Amino acid sequence: MAKNDPAQAPLTPAVLHILLALSTEERHGYGIMKQVAADSQGKVKMGPGTLYGSVGRMLEAGLIKESDQRVDLEMDDERRIYYKITGEGQAALRAELDRYRGVVAVAEGRLSYGN
Amino acid sequence: MATDVEGRRYRTWYAMLLRLYPRPFHARFGEGMEQTFQDLCRERLDAKRGLFGFALWIVFETLMGIMRENTIHMTQLNKTIRRAALVALGLLMAPLVASQFVEDWHWGVGGFVFAYLMFFGTALAYGLIARTMGEWAYKAGVGLALVTGFVMGWTNMVHISESENPANFIYFGVLWVGGVGAWIARLEARGMAKSMFTMAMALALVSPVGVMLFPDVRSEPGQNLMLVRGVFVTLFAASGLLFRHASLAGSK
Repeated sequence: MAKNDPAQAPLTPAVLHILLALSTEERHGYGIMKQVAADSQGKVKMGPGTLYGSVGRMLEAGLIKESDQRVDLEMDDERRIYYKITGEGQAALRAELDRYRGVVAVAEGRLSYGN
Repeated sequence: MATDVEGRRYRTWYAMLLRLYPRPFHARFGEGMEQTFQDLCRERLDAKRGLFGFALWIVFETLMGIMRENTIHMTQLNKTIRRAALVALGLLMAPLVASQFVEDWHWGVGGFVFAYLMFFGTALAYGLIARTMGEWAYKAGVGLALVTGFVMGWTNMVHISESENPANFIYFGVLWVGGVGAWIARLEARGMAKSMFTMAMALALVSPVGVMLFPDVRSEPGQNLMLVRGVFVTLFAASGLLFRHASLAGSK
């Protein structure tokens, strides 16, 4: 496994949630926050500092890319930058979910052995 | 109960806070963060909830981000400076070794220090500019423009010291055009492409401008000079094409 391959490296919780939020459609910053809150049933509270810090690193790693700058018709007349997931981002998300499945399988095996 | 006026005031303060981020980060995400902060405030106002405690949490969370990004920025900057210093040292080896074998090479210590500073400045400029965009074409464009500019500036300096022809100072004007262009473009690919094409055009016009400004000075004829100038024009234009490619790739 390539050490610096972002598609294979374990993801931080913030990056995982952002990738999940972008897996269905392009979103702007506030849209990502809303989706993360909805996905986690309000358990994950992500502020702008964490969100945009993670977005910056994800852009550098090629996991996401800027889509375009446009107005969100449901909000106001301000133009917003939309972000979208890349092929590498989708691969990283799949790899992370595989890791989670592996951990869950091990944990379930141990718990059933303990009973 | 919180009001729109209070929300606007908080946004203004938040915008001031965002200036504590490293400049490249602020330029890229500052506006988006401000918008997101306003969206969050509006959400609270619509739900008829207070803003003070929320704004306090956001400020704290953003301050953590500011410290993190500044630390990363400083670490990267130190790494870039160290790399540039090493690259400059490597490049200095070429004249250092060559001076041992070429008889007419009489550089003093000052000459080598000057050469090192020129190498270091160019390498550092590449490190600082190239990291503003991940696109390979952008990095290649920066590298090509800097190397071409360096070689042109260097050969011109040598030429001025030998011939004392004031018309040669016009070549520094071409470099100045590129510097100002990059500053106006704020290093964005599209603007950089225009700057490089302008530089190429300015360089192509050096001869007629030289004749107009210095009619008394005999221009240096020769196909070699024309050929060298043609190569520089081509290289600046190629750099412009690379920036244009990066601009189109970035907008996809």
